[in-house]
Amino acid sequence: MKHLLLILIYKGVMPLFLKLVGVKIVPKKPLPPNAQYIIVANHNSHIDTMALMSSIPVKDLNRTHPVAAATYFGKKNWLAVLSKLFVNTILIKRSEEGGESTALDVLGNFLSKGHSLIIFPEGSRGEPEKMQAFRKGIGVLLQRNPHIPYIPVYIQGTGKILPKGERLIVPYVAQVHFGQAQLAQAKEVESILDEVKNEILRLKD
Amino acid sequence: MHFEHLTSIHKMLLVILGVLVFATVLFWIWKKIKPGAQVDELMTRTKSWWVMASIFAIAALVHPIISFVAFGFLSFAALRELSSISKNARIEDRSVIFWAYVAIPVQYFFAYMGWMLPFLIFIPVFMFTWIPFILVLKGHTQDIARSMSVIPTHLMLTVYSLSHLAYLLSLSIADGGRGLLLYVVFLTEMNDVFQFTWGKLLGRHKIIEKISPNKTWEGFIGGLLSTVLAAILLKFLTPFTTNEAIGAGLLIACTGFVGDIIVSAIKRDFGLKDTGTVIKGHGGILDRMDSLIISAPFFFYYVYLLHVVR
Repeated sequence: MKHLLLILIYKGVMPLFLKLVGVKIVPKKPLPPNAQYIIVANHNSHIDTMALMSSIPVKDLNRTHPVAAATYFGKKNWLAVLSKLFVNTILIKRSEEGGESTALDVLGNFLSKGHSLIIFPEGSRGEPEKMQAFRKGIGVLLQRNPHIPYIPVYIQGTGKILPKGERLIVPYVAQVHFGQAQLAQAKEVESILDEVKNEILRLKD
Repeated sequence: MHFEHLTSIHKMLLVILGVLVFATVLFWIWKKIKPGAQVDELMTRTKSWWVMASIFAIAALVHPIISFVAFGFLSFAALRELSSISKNARIEDRSVIFWAYVAIPVQYFFAYMGWMLPFLIFIPVFMFTWIPFILVLKGHTQDIARSMSVIPTHLMLTVYSLSHLAYLLSLSIADGGRGLLLYVVFLTEMNDVFQFTWGKLLGRHKIIEKISPNKTWEGFIGGLLSTVLAAILLKFLTPFTTNEAIGAGLLIACTGFVGDIIVSAIKRDFGLKDTGTVIKGHGGILDRMDSLIISAPFFFYYVYLLHVVR
């Protein structure tokens, strides 16, 4: 039932909406079906999550979860329910709220069930078109699951369509560039973070 | 088949189909024989003509309202592209750019209804006041004068000018204006090709090297003469006399050239190449529409002054 709803949104309405506001996915069909991966992208706008979910193959929508902060989306109960239902999110506590170890365990469980994750390691949308420091979680997850590939994604321009703190959606040309699925080469958490960040920035040009 | 039973529109559609098939095959063979030749620009242009021709055909054969919607979307896509590549808009201008988008359906509605005066003044008078007014209410004065002039100008280039093409369909002359619409779009695009081809064959003397290095006097004059010839041949689509058709050909060739170099100059200002795609992996709608941006309103008033008001 939920899967049907997700298909309706991300294969029906959302692609039309994204095309209208000017979001382009490169390449057109970036992901193979039936694969497991962690999508790692920079983050400027709620549009990012919509664009990434729309790129997921139909079959895999149900078992692909954007990871979001419980403090933001869990503030109100109805918002939490909506984001779980319509966006298929996993809500976690940020490290500064003492949620680090439980959050990583929760995400680890989903990975061991064969599910895929969408992670924005900047942790928050921040100022448009400026990349912030990466949080450690993605490094730890990739270190603990060396067999799961990550897919770097560079998103450009969505911060102008719908920036943080704004409600009005304004069309602008934006691009979502998908990189190749790859296993983390580095072993240390910090160096994995650097590696992933470099792979994302490499897609910029 | 009895061709004498076909209306001028059907004849024109057949001519366009023929030209498109000819051009597509020609460029394809050209590319096969001389892989180094610079025909990619012409090939992408041909592709967008196929799309435009299909819209025309559907609109001409089914219902004119399809054309109004299609041109509205064309304006929308052109405005979206221009405001995305523009270095001059500030992040605070988002809400004003939203108002610019709202102006599109209003302007095309006036065109559809054939309300001449509202159509004429809505953007140059009303939006030119509304946009600065909203900007002032926002209260950020840093660089506000730039935004006040840039955003209305974007509207003029992408919405006001192109909406004249749609208004042609609301004129009660020459088969509901469909022939005139095909005439101006076809001749403007052909003029680009004529200029390009004559320039490649004979071009020596550059007109304005810093803006558009491929533009030569030989290409311009060759294009002008060819376009005038085509304008005479196709006058069955219009109410023009031969002299009026010659005038239309001259007008379209000159204004098409002006539109072309204006858009080239804007793109140079934004640090983009003068041909090809505007944004990496993106269509470059302005590239396709550049000559029409100026030729459309000029041609419209030419027709209007000669055949509507007398």
